[in-house]
Amino acid sequence: MRWRGGGGAGGFSGAKARTYGFVFSFLLVPLVLYVVFVIGPYAQAFYISLTNWKGISATPTFVGMENFTRLLGDEVFWAAVRHHGLLLLALPLVTIAVALFFAFLLNIGGGRRGRTAGVPGSKFYRVVYFFPQVLAVAVVGVLFQAVYRPDGTGVLNGLLALAGIDPVGWLIEPDLALWSIMAVLVWQLVGFYVVLFSAGMSAIPQDVFEAAALDGAGRFRLFFGITLPLIWDTIQVGWVYLGIAAFDCFALVQVLSVDRGGPDNATTVLPLEIWRTAFTFSKFGYASAMGVALFFLTITFAALSLRVTRRERIEL
Amino acid sequence: MSYAGGTPKDITRRQMLRRIGLTALVAGPAGGLLSACATSGGAPAASAAPSAGGAATSAANPFGVKADAPLEVVIFKGGLGDSYATDVHEPMYTKEFPKASVKHVATQQIAQTLQPRFASGDVPDFIANSGSDLMDNGALQSEGQLLDLTALFDAPSIDDPAKKIRDTLIPGTVESGQIAGKPYILNYVSSGYGLWYNGKLFQEKGWTPPKTFDEFTALCETIKKAGITPYAYAGKNAAYYQYWMILITAAKIEGNQLLMDVDNLVDGVWTRDAMKKSAAAWAAIGKFMDKSYEGLIHTEVQTRQNQDKVALYPSGSWLENEQKSNTPESFEYAMTPTPSLTPADKMPFEAIRSAAGEPYIIPAKAKNTAGALEYARIMLSKEGAKGFTEKSGSLTVVTGAADGLPLSPGLKSVNDALKAAGANIVTYSSFENWYKELETELRKQTNSLMFGRISADEFCANMQKKADSVKSDSSITKQNRTV
Amino acid sequence: MADTATTTETVRVARPPRPAGRRPRDTPGVFGALSHVALVVWAILVIGPILWTFLASFKTNAEIVGDAPLALPQAYDWGAWGRAWDKAHIGRYMLNTALVVGASTFLTMLFGSMAAYVLARYRFFGNRAVYYLFVSGLAFPVFLALVPLFFVVRNLGLIDTHLGVILVYVAYSLPFTVFFLSAFFRTLPTSVAEAAMMDGASHTRTFFQIMMPMARPGLVSITIFNIIGQWNQYLLPIVLLSGAVEDKWLLTQGIANINTNAGYEADWPGLFAALSMAILPMLVVYIIFQRQIQSGLTAGAVK
Repeated sequence: MRWRGGGGAGGFSGAKARTYGFVFSFLLVPLVLYVVFVIGPYAQAFYISLTNWKGISATPTFVGMENFTRLLGDEVFWAAVRHHGLLLLALPLVTIAVALFFAFLLNIGGGRRGRTAGVPGSKFYRVVYFFPQVLAVAVVGVLFQAVYRPDGTGVLNGLLALAGIDPVGWLIEPDLALWSIMAVLVWQLVGFYVVLFSAGMSAIPQDVFEAAALDGAGRFRLFFGITLPLIWDTIQVGWVYLGIAAFDCFALVQVLSVDRGGPDNATTVLPLEIWRTAFTFSKFGYASAMGVALFFLTITFAALSLRVTRRERIEL
Repeated sequence: MSYAGGTPKDITRRQMLRRIGLTALVAGPAGGLLSACATSGGAPAASAAPSAGGAATSAANPFGVKADAPLEVVIFKGGLGDSYATDVHEPMYTKEFPKASVKHVATQQIAQTLQPRFASGDVPDFIANSGSDLMDNGALQSEGQLLDLTALFDAPSIDDPAKKIRDTLIPGTVESGQIAGKPYILNYVSSGYGLWYNGKLFQEKGWTPPKTFDEFTALCETIKKAGITPYAYAGKNAAYYQYWMILITAAKIEGNQLLMDVDNLVDGVWTRDAMKKSAAAWAAIGKFMDKSYEGLIHTEVQTRQNQDKVALYPSGSWLENEQKSNTPESFEYAMTPTPSLTPADKMPFEAIRSAAGEPYIIPAKAKNTAGALEYARIMLSKEGAKGFTEKSGSLTVVTGAADGLPLSPGLKSVNDALKAAGANIVTYSSFENWYKELETELRKQTNSLMFGRISADEFCANMQKKADSVKSDSSITKQNRTV
Repeated sequence: MADTATTTETVRVARPPRPAGRRPRDTPGVFGALSHVALVVWAILVIGPILWTFLASFKTNAEIVGDAPLALPQAYDWGAWGRAWDKAHIGRYMLNTALVVGASTFLTMLFGSMAAYVLARYRFFGNRAVYYLFVSGLAFPVFLALVPLFFVVRNLGLIDTHLGVILVYVAYSLPFTVFFLSAFFRTLPTSVAEAAMMDGASHTRTFFQIMMPMARPGLVSITIFNIIGQWNQYLLPIVLLSGAVEDKWLLTQGIANINTNAGYEADWPGLFAALSMAILPMLVVYIIFQRQIQSGLTAGAVK
C-alpha cells in the first residue's frame, strides 16, 4: 500500500495500519450501501432469470437457460432491442449535432473575419435552451401528450394548420411514432449539451481562429477544421452521457405511446417489455432474462464508449 | 395469476382504471407484487360450511344466525360511497336482529387495513374487497381465508322463499365469482355493454339505433354526411372497449360456447367462421373512424361524444356516471345492443353482454360467518338491491330489483336492454384476467384491425398464433371454465 | 484521441487573454440572419409547450379538447389551480421531494467522494476490483433490480419510508459519482496534500480540509448532476413508496397520479394547473441559479 502522492510513505508500520484503517473506514459505508441495494438485487436478478419465478412463491423452480432460448424466438423482444439500438445511435447523433450547431452559433458563428463572437442574445438562448433539462421526465411526458395529440386539437397540429398542413399522427403512425418520442428526448436534452459545448468552445484560444481566418477560412472550415477537433473530447463525454440517457426513455414511451409500446410494437423499448412481462404477465423469471440481456447490451455500449473516449487515460 | 383463477368479471370503474393501465404508473410494481399470485394448484380447501352461528336454522334464518352476535362490516368507500351500507343494508340487518350490534368500518385502503388482521386471525365478518388496494382474492382463497359461498347462493331468497338466491340473480353471477370451481366471491354490481349514443341527438335527427350491421353501415353513412364521426373508440388506452364488441358479435353469431372456448384456449377458436365474420364486419365499421382516434384516450373520445362530434361509442354502464360533469343539457345517454350480423345468428339482436363485478367476500375465519351470510342475503333481496342502486347509482345483479326506480336516462336504457335480453346474455370473458399476454395481444391486434393495418383474416390468424403460444407455454397456469 | 487531448491541453495552457470587442462588429450577413432564425425557432419550441401548459390551466375542458388548440383562454380564473392544489397535493410532494433529494444528494456526495478519493489516491489490494465493481453499476439497468430491490428494502423494514428511498438513491447514484470523482481526484496536484501529511495531518483531515476544497469544481458539477437525476427519478419511488403512503409520495408520482385522475375525471385544466405548479418553482430556482448551474455542470465535464 502506498500513498500515491507521497513517495516516501510506507516507512513504519503504524502509519501503514492507520492508512489501511483510513481506507477501510472511507470505503465501508458506500460499499455496504452499494452491495446491499445494487449488487445484491442484481445478483438475485441474474439467478431469477434462470427460474420460472412468478413473483410470489418462496422457491422458484430452476429452469436453466429456458428463458434465454425463449428470448431468441420472441419477436416483441427483438423489436424492443432494435428500437434500443436505434435510440443508442440516433439519440446521441441528433442531440450532439443540434447542440453543436447551436453552440457554434452562440459562441463563434456571430463574428466575422476570425473574430469569434456569439450572436446577440446568446446568453438568453443558453438560459432558455437549458431549462427543459430541469423538468422531470414525467412532467415532460404529460406535457407532450397535448403537443402531439393526433387530430386538429394538438398543439403541434394546430401550428401546422396555420400553414395549411393536415394533422399529423405523430404517435399513431408506426413509422413516425418512435422518432416523435425521440424528439422529446432531444428537446429536453439539447440545452445541456449546448452549454457543455459552449464551455468547450470558449476554451479555444482566439488566435487559433484569427490565424485560420487570415488563411481565408470560412465558417464551415472554422467549424469542421478547428472547432470540432478541438472540442472532440467534450463531444465524447457527451456521447457517453447520452448513451445512458437513451435508457431513460421508458417513462416517455409509457405515457406517450399508443397502447404502451404501440402501434404494432413500433415504440416498444426493453425497459417497457421488462415491466410488462414482470408486472402484467407475472413472469419475473422471463423478465429478468430480458434484464440480463439489457445488461449485456449496456455493458457492450459502455465498453465501446469508454474505449472510444478513453476518458481515464486522458485524465491520468 | 390465480386471482383471476375464478373471478372473471366485469370491469368496475376502478378496475377499469387499472386495466387502462395508467394507474400502473402509480400503483406500481409494489401493487403488482401484492396482487400477483403464483398458482392456484394445491390450494387448501376453505371450510365449506359456515361456522356455527350458534342458533338453530329455520326457513327465516337459514344460516342459524345468533340474534345477539355482533357483526363487523368493512366497506370500501370509493366511487360507490358507503351510504348504501350505513343507510340501507345495515339497518335492514339490525331490523332483523335488533339485539345485534353492527360495527361499520369504511376505508379506502382495504389491503393496508386488513392484511395485518388476516395475518393475526382477527378478521371482520364481511368485506367489500374493492378499490385499487384490494386484497388478492386468489391468494386469500389459496390460503384458506375465504368462505365458500355455495350455502348463500343455495339459501332461500328473502323475497320468495321458494326460490334459491342463485335463481334470482342475473345468469353468470355465481360463476363469475368462482375460484378453482367454487364460488368464493359475490360480484354484486351489474354492468351492461353496448353502443352508447345521445338519445336527444338521435331523436332530433330522426336516426334509429341499428339492429343489423347493414343498418349500422347505412346509419354510419348518414351520420357521416351530417358531419359527425359515426363511430369511434379510444385506441390509445381503451382498445378493449372495441374487442368486447368484436367478441360480442362473434358470440351472437355462434353462441356463448365460442367465448368459453376462447377462455379455454380451444384449438382454432380464433379462426372460426363467427370470429372472422365479426372481425370483418367491425373492420368495415372502423373505416368510418378517423385514424386520429387511435391516439386518444377514453375520456378524450367521450368528451368529443358529449360535444356531438362522435355518434356511437362502445362502452359499459359506468360511462354515464364517469362523464357526469362533462355532459351538457343537450346530451342524454342511451345504450343499444350491438347489431346482429347474419339472419342465422344464434342470439337475437336483444342479447347484450352483461357481467357482474365489485367483489364482496366473507373471511372463513370470521367470528360471525352466519351473520355475514345473512347480511349478504339481505343485500341480494330486492329491497337491499334497490336501496343500493338508489344510493350508488349502479345496478345490481339482482334481477328486477331496479323496477320502478327513477333511473338516470342511461341506466334506464341499460335496465330496459337487460329486460329485453332476458336470458340472452352474452357471457363474460375470463381470459382477460387469466391470460394477460393474450389480452395484451388482442388489444394490439384490435387496433391494427380497426385502423386498417391488417385484414380480418390476419387478425384471426395472429390471435390464434398467440393463443397457441400461450397454450403451449408451460410457465402459464391454465384455467378452465365449463359455464 | 490522446493526441487531440494533448493538443488541447497545450493550447489551453498557451491561451492568451481574449482580445474582446476591440474592433466594431461587422453587420451580420445572410448567415447571421439564418442562424438567428434557427435560434429563435428553437427558443419557441422550448418555450411554446410550457407556455401552452400555463394557458391551458385557465381553459375549460371544451376549449382544451376543442378545435382551436392555439387560442387563448376565454376567461382567466384560478379554479383549476385550486382544484389541483387541493386534490393533487403538489406542495406536499414538492416538499417531500426536496427533503429526499436534499438528503440523498448530500449523502451521495459524502460517500461518493470518500470512496472515489480512496480509490483514486491510495494503492491497496483490491483497489481495482472495488473500482470496477462500482463502475460496472453504470451498465446495470435499474429495471433488472426492481423486483429483488423491493424485497430487499421490504425485508429491511424500509419500504414506504423516505429513509429507504434516500438510501436507495444514494446507492444507485454511487457508480456515476465514483466514476466521475475518482477521475477528478486523480487530476488534482499532490503536493499540497503531501505537505499537509508531512505536517502530521491525518488522512481524514487531509481529505476534508485540503482535498475537498480543491475538488470543488468537480464536486459542484456532480452535485448538480445528482440533484437533477434524483429529482427526476421516476421508477424507484414508484416501487419504494406504495399507494398506502400517499402523503409520502414524491413529485413524479404525484404528476403521474394527476395524469391518471385527469384522464379518469376528464379534468384537463386541473391537470395543466398541476403541471404548471410543478414547473413554476423549478423555473424560479433555475432562473435564480442558472449561472451556477450551467457553469457548475460543465466545469467538471469539460475539464
